[in-house]
Amino acid sequence: MSLIIEPIQSKKSLGDKGILFVRNDSIFDTMVKLPLLVASMIIVAALMPIQSSFSSPRDLDLVIYPDGSAHISTEINVDPFLTDYEVNLFGSTIDNLVVIGDNGFLLDVDVIDDTALIQTFGSSVISIEYDIHDLVSKQGRLWTFSIDSPSDFTLLLPKNSAIVGMTNLPLNMEIINEQNQLTLSSGLTEIDYLFSINSITNPINETANQEDSSMYVIVGGIIGGIIAVILVSIIIIIRNKQKNVKTINEVIKIQKNNILDLETIFKLKSDLREDDKELVKFLFDNNGEALESELRKNFLQPRTTMWRAVKRLEREGVIEIEKKDLQNLVKLRKNMEEDN
Amino acid sequence: MKKLALFAIIVLIFGAVSPSLVNHAYGQNDPSILLRIAVQANNQIVNQLEKKYENKIPTDINILYNKGQVAVESLNQSLINNDIEKAKQDFLLAMNSFMQISRIISQSSENTVVADVEENTNQKLKSKIDRLEKYVKTLESISQKHDKNEQNKDEFTKAHLLIQEIRNQINTNQNPFDKINELNNLMNSIKKEIRNSIAEKQSNSIKNFFEKFLAQIDQKLMEAKDLDRDQIEIDKANELILEIRELLSKNQINDAKKVYSELKIVLKNIGISVKIT
Repeated sequence: MSLIIEPIQSKKSLGDKGILFVRNDSIFDTMVKLPLLVASMIIVAALMPIQSSFSSPRDLDLVIYPDGSAHISTEINVDPFLTDYEVNLFGSTIDNLVVIGDNGFLLDVDVIDDTALIQTFGSSVISIEYDIHDLVSKQGRLWTFSIDSPSDFTLLLPKNSAIVGMTNLPLNMEIINEQNQLTLSSGLTEIDYLFSINSITNPINETANQEDSSMYVIVGGIIGGIIAVILVSIIIIIRNKQKNVKTINEVIKIQKNNILDLETIFKLKSDLREDDKELVKFLFDNNGEALESELRKNFLQPRTTMWRAVKRLEREGVIEIEKKDLQNLVKLRKNMEEDN
Repeated sequence: MKKLALFAIIVLIFGAVSPSLVNHAYGQNDPSILLRIAVQANNQIVNQLEKKYENKIPTDINILYNKGQVAVESLNQSLINNDIEKAKQDFLLAMNSFMQISRIISQSSENTVVADVEENTNQKLKSKIDRLEKYVKTLESISQKHDKNEQNKDEFTKAHLLIQEIRNQINTNQNPFDKINELNNLMNSIKKEIRNSIAEKQSNSIKNFFEKFLAQIDQKLMEAKDLDRDQIEIDKANELILEIRELLSKNQINDAKKVYSELKIVLKNIGISVKIT
């Protein structure tokens, strides 16, 4: 008689063809207590956001002034069971520091070099505001903003500043009071900028315009076929007519002689928007005229945005619009002075 | 029950992972912004090159510019193809090239371009007064929040008047430094007044906090005594705690805070953490 010890469980789970079946239920029952697992996961999940939120800025906003100084506003979640909280400032040349705790109380702060020891006394959120002179440097005409940020942040650049280089990808950009505001991700960021009269068009308007432009695409597709037929016949007629017209160069030469110089145009129309001035400059450099499609291509603008800009300039009496080959030919006006 | 528990686990895991997914998606908002910035930078570089070199652009800069321009074109194409990752690479490459060019130009022109000193000073003064105005407004909002605006109304009116006067002085090229000093002194005094005026309100919350805190420290000091820690330091800490309690009972919050600073050092010497639980 031979004694073979067989585990009870294996006996139960052996199938007809000798395949070993393992019941998941029994594993859970014997190895893992499911309610315990769920409870522990709930605790972990609940603690994770709390742990990560302490000491991390909820908001970080920077405003750069034209002299290279910057204003920083930040809100930080702090442990309400601590008497004080040490925060690293973005430099050591600090002005106008204000720290506000819960309920808007002014909190006491000791600043040593680039750290601030804040007496929080139970505050759970503190907001810090200060001016700093360490974030922007200047070489020649070029200004360089540099920061190693612990969190995503917004950066409001000075008026008339134009970005000429950056090391980080912007998350967003908008125009606020004719100033570029970038949203940037955490980490090291360097942005080079210089002061210029050029500015970027409002991306918010542009987004809306892009939606509008999709309508144009659909409508354009429908009537495109009809236009194509008409276009071919018109081209043939125009080509025949061109034989009797002066050469383009001659026309341009005559026109340019009558067009005012840029300085005078801008003087006469001092209320022009900066982006409209760029259009006028382009037209002037292009012998006083360009097709609307050329403008769109050059300024990378959607159809509706450019159409509005052109209409604006027409209203201002700076340009006139003519139809050429079923396209809008935008021309600088010759007798602008008479209007004024 | 088990199915429900498994479902709960999946939800929890997703909940833990989802914040990172959200952040990732946020980074891809409106990628056409990249093109706008790159095109603007390109235009600026062209202007700078024209001003500085006219038609005699040095070869190294020309190579960099071509690299940048090709990257901008590629960025445009990547956006058309909806290839966001490629667009990001193109953007960084273009901006890096333009950054290098503008730095070369600014280095070489550093000695030749002399900034208008007067304009520069005015700009600094204007920025300074803008910053000071923001500071005044911040303090004003704190004062309003605690209904102390009536109390400080005259001071804030004076501050705004001074700001206006300083701006006028800057615009007419007069020396505004006396007024700026006056404004700085006024702001320090306003800040002090706000602090004192809300001290009573603030003191209650600080008192509550101290009560919990000191009770905890009492307990920890007793434990430290059992562990044979430095008795002199423990006695000193107990004295400071008594002093703080006395000051709090007299509503001398600021003095209590000062004594608390001393207490912290003593507690550190004994080896007691100042965090309450």
